[in-house]
Amino acid sequence: MAKHSIIQIKDLKKVYDLGAFKVQALKGLNFDIEEGSYTAIMGPSGSGKSTLLNILGCLDRPSSGAYILGDDDVAHMDDKELSGVRGSRIGFIFQSYNLIQQLNVVENIHVPLFYQGKDISDHYDHCVKLAEKVGLADRLDHRPMQLSGGQQQRVAVARSLVNEPLMLLADEPTGNLDSSTEQEILDILDELHGEGRTLVIVTHDDAVAERAERVIHLKDGLVDQDIRKGAAKAVAK
Amino acid sequence: MRGSSLIQIVQVGFKSLRLHKLRSGLTMLGMIIGVWAVIVLVAIGEGASHDAQEAIKALGAQNVIIRSVKPMSDKVQLQGRDMEWETIYGLKNSDASRISKTVPGVIKVLPVLTQRKNIIHGKRDVDCQLIGTYPYYPEFTQSKMVAGTFLNEIEEARKENSCVLTLELAEKLFAGHNPLMEKVVIRGFESAQVFRVKGIIQERVEGAKLPQQKDVLGRTISANVFIPLSTFKALFGIKNIDRSVGSLSVERVELSEIRVEFGSAEEVMEALPLLREALDKTRRGNVDYEIQVPINELNALKAQKARDTRMLMYIACISLLVGGIGIMNIMLATVTERTQEIGVRRAMGATQRDITVQFLIETLILCLLGGSIGVCGGWGFAWVRHHLLHTTTIVTEWSVLAAFGLSVTVGLVFGLYPARRAALLDPIEALRHA
Repeated sequence: MAKHSIIQIKDLKKVYDLGAFKVQALKGLNFDIEEGSYTAIMGPSGSGKSTLLNILGCLDRPSSGAYILGDDDVAHMDDKELSGVRGSRIGFIFQSYNLIQQLNVVENIHVPLFYQGKDISDHYDHCVKLAEKVGLADRLDHRPMQLSGGQQQRVAVARSLVNEPLMLLADEPTGNLDSSTEQEILDILDELHGEGRTLVIVTHDDAVAERAERVIHLKDGLVDQDIRKGAAKAVAK
Repeated sequence: MRGSSLIQIVQVGFKSLRLHKLRSGLTMLGMIIGVWAVIVLVAIGEGASHDAQEAIKALGAQNVIIRSVKPMSDKVQLQGRDMEWETIYGLKNSDASRISKTVPGVIKVLPVLTQRKNIIHGKRDVDCQLIGTYPYYPEFTQSKMVAGTFLNEIEEARKENSCVLTLELAEKLFAGHNPLMEKVVIRGFESAQVFRVKGIIQERVEGAKLPQQKDVLGRTISANVFIPLSTFKALFGIKNIDRSVGSLSVERVELSEIRVEFGSAEEVMEALPLLREALDKTRRGNVDYEIQVPINELNALKAQKARDTRMLMYIACISLLVGGIGIMNIMLATVTERTQEIGVRRAMGATQRDITVQFLIETLILCLLGGSIGVCGGWGFAWVRHHLLHTTTIVTEWSVLAAFGLSVTVGLVFGLYPARRAALLDPIEALRHA
């Protein structure tokens, strides 16, 4: 594949120091993620899935190894720099939507821009366009409390797009949704993939992973399987 | 931090506080009451002190007031016949003339004789204080004539039955119609005399009555009737029969009061020992007078006020401290409650500083809003008290500034810890917080 890698993980390790003993959550991961790809990360609990998610999301730092996001090694950045990276290069989608209760739909979508010092008045149209894109054109001034779970997750998707991130990072994005709503959200993600966005989804749900073109299975802090479907997917169906 | 985003943080702060209106309101209440109390207490204190200072100033900073005081009972000079005992004490005419002759710096001496009488006009009968004095009483006490003229030298010399009423008494006695040239009856225990009203006087400060006598209910009598001293002595004499105590007491006091005017306040201090000497010469250690020095009282009052103010500030600081702790408590609860929001904001790119600023601003909003409401409330209370209840209440600028400044300081100090705590939360832990 000629596609440019936007993420390079090299010998990534994470050790939690619990005082009496140390827990090795990640024991040396190596993989790249190409631009425009759709990757699912799977694994049983305790496999290091969550740890990897936190590091990929720049919420945590690895103990050793390199994590190159875009052109920068973010593995050893300080808190302030990491905050900047999160705000500008990563679009988060969480299991529990995580919208801010006191803000309405448009304001919620604007949040990542706010922390880059961008005024909502200058980007209002952009935020509205994203709300329309996820089908919430008639809910612009609703508060999260006034929306259903599926609608809230759509807002979260729109929010993850507002800063034009390098990667959308979703953590069990359909975990709290019923199956029909789950399909809607997954359809939106498919659509985003179709537009050329890079998606990384952490999940334990096979139905979700099935939509991805590549599934990385973790086991005991190491990559167990790295399956690129492509043609194989067609065969399976 | 850019201005526009600061505005936005403030907006978000308001939104967050509106989300819990009751809680925000209750939290502010501590601040409101603290600030309100500071302003109101200072204003009341200031008003009272202002009144007292005015009263003392009315006596005159360059004046000394000597009053007759009934001495301890074993030293009272008694004189009796037919079971009737009289107490003789107090200042004499000779004291007044000796002071004006021997004490340096004295400009004028004003003798005053006072007894309680009743004044009657038509069917109205009012308790009053009859004051016999010299024609220059108004200048001496800085009182002003409202209508007519004060007593003059001719009336003094001829012992005429002219009188001047205080405005309050005239209103009470004549209920609206013009008292000038009207006749009134002044009735004592032994005699009643007819007087002609020739003027209405307004003393500089209400309540600055000569001897601070109280009526049966304990109110200061503000009903004064001025007549020439010579008339007083001729018609009523110096024998004062007091019925109000329950038992009959008869006193002979030649002068109730001698007011001495000096050239300046400095001369007052220098002349005081000589003044005492002049008075003690004829008294053989029997002290039946007291000396009131307004300038001393004024200074003492100012010192007292400074102490009171300091005390008030301590109380205010404590109440604001308590308010501040309440605010900190609520903000800590808020931080815990909004842990997930903090996590989300951190994930969306907020730095620790962004979170600190956000929570600090929310605390500041609470404090400033509470402070503003407190200031308005205090101001309103003072206005009502001053204008509707007619009690001198003075809102000072410094109390408003201090109250406001303190509420901001409290906000910053007590907001900082919760804000830092919010900022230092681990974003991963915060996100996981349900």
